[in-house]
Amino acid sequence: MFGDYDVVGFDEMFAAPGLVRPHYAALHERLSTLGVHELERRHRLADLMMRNQGITFTVYGREQGIERIIPFDPAPRLIPAHEWERIENGLKQRVRALNLFLNDVYHDRKILRDGVVPYDLVLGASAFRRECVGLRVPRDVYIHVSGIDLVRDEDGTYLVLEDNGRTPSGVSYVLKNRQVMKQVFPFLFGRYNVRSIDDYAANLLETLRHIAPEDVDDPTIAVLTPGVYNSAYYEHTYLARQMGVELVEGRDLFLDDGRIHMKTIRGPKRVDVLYRRIDDDFLDPLTFRSDSRLGVAGMTGAYRAGRLGLANAIGTGVADDKGVYPFTPDIIRYYLKEDPILGIVETFRPPVPSHMNHILRNLDKLVVKAVDGSGGYGMLIGPASTAAEREEFAAKIRAHPRGYIAQPTLSLSRHPTFIDGKLEGRHIDLRPFVLYGEEIKVLPGGLTRVALPRGSLVVNSSQGGGTKDTWVLRGSGNEIINNRKCDDRSRDATVSESA
Amino acid sequence: MLSRVAENLYWISRYVERVENVARLLDVGFHLELDASVPVRESTELSPIEGVLTILACREAFERDRGATERDREHVLRFLTFDRHNPHSILAMLWRARENARATQEMLGGESWSQVNKLYLYLCSAKAHRRFAASPPRFFDGIKRACVLFDGLVDGSLPREEVFHFLQIGRYLERVNQIGRILTERLGDWNETTVEDRPARAIHWASLLRGCSAYEAYCRAHHERVDPRGVVEFLVLSPDFPRSMRFCVTKCRESAREITDSDDDEVRSEADRLLGRLDSRLRYIEVDEILGVGIVPFLAEIQEECDLVGDAIHSTYFYA
Repeated sequence: MFGDYDVVGFDEMFAAPGLVRPHYAALHERLSTLGVHELERRHRLADLMMRNQGITFTVYGREQGIERIIPFDPAPRLIPAHEWERIENGLKQRVRALNLFLNDVYHDRKILRDGVVPYDLVLGASAFRRECVGLRVPRDVYIHVSGIDLVRDEDGTYLVLEDNGRTPSGVSYVLKNRQVMKQVFPFLFGRYNVRSIDDYAANLLETLRHIAPEDVDDPTIAVLTPGVYNSAYYEHTYLARQMGVELVEGRDLFLDDGRIHMKTIRGPKRVDVLYRRIDDDFLDPLTFRSDSRLGVAGMTGAYRAGRLGLANAIGTGVADDKGVYPFTPDIIRYYLKEDPILGIVETFRPPVPSHMNHILRNLDKLVVKAVDGSGGYGMLIGPASTAAEREEFAAKIRAHPRGYIAQPTLSLSRHPTFIDGKLEGRHIDLRPFVLYGEEIKVLPGGLTRVALPRGSLVVNSSQGGGTKDTWVLRGSGNEIINNRKCDDRSRDATVSESA
Repeated sequence: MLSRVAENLYWISRYVERVENVARLLDVGFHLELDASVPVRESTELSPIEGVLTILACREAFERDRGATERDREHVLRFLTFDRHNPHSILAMLWRARENARATQEMLGGESWSQVNKLYLYLCSAKAHRRFAASPPRFFDGIKRACVLFDGLVDGSLPREEVFHFLQIGRYLERVNQIGRILTERLGDWNETTVEDRPARAIHWASLLRGCSAYEAYCRAHHERVDPRGVVEFLVLSPDFPRSMRFCVTKCRESAREITDSDDDEVRSEADRLLGRLDSRLRYIEVDEILGVGIVPFLAEIQEECDLVGDAIHSTYFYA
């Protein structure tokens, strides 16, 4: 199974070739004894479960649209308790600081006046919403839901790669992956003491209730989706179902008497809080893009008047802007007077002349990202680029320095992944999800994305990425080596056979 | 409940019901055609499977598509099963049921949604085509069962609240519609004075009952032989048989009243009023009266009433 497994860079399972990290020992043993055919069978079972439940995203282009499931890898990623504690504290610190930053840039702008972050960077960011300047949001919370992408460098240190504070998606895959894993590998869970993620929907609901208008006792909450053709539609339905709230589209809503209402079979019903999964631009055709048919005319007015809670708040994109990213450690120090617990990736900014020189001289070694790009688009990966591509990017960077950042090419940690009948190392990242309600809560684990093509560093699902279940252990994970001798191979097999 | 969601639910069950009926009709038609003793009424007579084209009102579409002379059984079956461009094909109807279900899966429940989704994905698969080629009756039987399973999941998992009642209205209104169409096609040219080849005709009536899953129940209720009068009485007026028009109308009315919360005799909505009127008519009419008016005009009237009910439901709940 692990035959000629190659250990390159930081590997999550192996400290060195043949040397399994203690917390992975039980999983390693399990995978080794399971055998290729059995693992393949369970892999197929997992795929079938996903497909039958409609956990798909749609790739458009042809007549019907092609439905794909995001490839699911059956080898879970393990994070021992002490590692997770650090991540969790780091994420809480980070989200708290970014939230203070948003409140500041839409009101007093102290951080800009004190020269910690350049004015033009913030006010010129495409995600900055001048319509929200001076707008008080409920409880001063902006980023209710965030998904913060972490990677590990060659030493295994966790670094923040990107903050997603607009409408981050992927949490339904976290929850579904867990369900599938429990059915496909029921007994392995028993050996590892894995932290539960079942309360995510309840916590999300609590977070949303927290921002209801103050004069409403029993708020009506709804999830606002762009509709069935959105690639994350499955997630929207899943979350609405798990929270027991309505899933609405813009055409179900209208403004009346200063509040948002939904059209029901018994006439209009007031809506107090929207968990909106529509971008700022499309929320309200009267305030933002006038060609939007996804939003509700007049929504911003209700929001401004405090008669509607929105999660996330409008204009949060300025906090996860790639141009602001290099300043996030300073933002944390400025507001919290603490050192950042989680580092960021070293980042060069073309507007700084010395950085510009460095970038242009080292384009073949760097990753260049467009500040407004996302999802792996608009990127130059230096080591994999052609001279022509580098020329093109050099010209773009010179013409528009504010539009780009550059980072050294990270190797990203690798994890055994089931590819064509054996386990091979593939690069992974981690997107944990953070909820900011009355307090800040981090879902234990998160979405581990894996770049399936050999050597690829791009984990986005739109670019051939897959996912893994992520297990946060209650202990160090070292204590479970061989402490249960029972042969659960046969037990696992019987259970999934009858499932 | 959102108006959009109510409308989606109503259409999901209408489409699933229609798919089930098409599958059953094709299954029964196929069996009948395999019998060497199939009676040919006249030379222009349609085969049982071609009759399904008439029942579904897509004969013209088929002739446009394949030409008026094309009478290959295989083509008709494929046109009614796998043709995406025929809006009445099983595949096309399931696609619509699925898109409606996708948009309401949080109300419908995971299991019921998954059932529609699975069935649709199966129909798109190579496996479905292989099964079809190997044995059409078994293939159609499988589809019929998958639809019944959907009904079962709905019945067994949903609280008797609005979601359930909109599904119920859709299902039973569609069923009345289908029974009407089947009877019209199969009994259209019949009258009591026709001189008949009795044994051959009996096969015809029996297949009509089978097309409504009614054969065995009919035999238990009417011990004498199968005749058109008994068939009409059973499929239109039976109070207990779940595929009789009267039964379906009563179910529709129950659900419509649940939605409007009317537990007294007062009429609470236009849909309730129309269903109540139709219900009384089917309750108190006699089979001889129906035959007196003529079965076809009678069924056309019922159809019209049902269309009015559909309109009333739309204007009351979906476009409120």
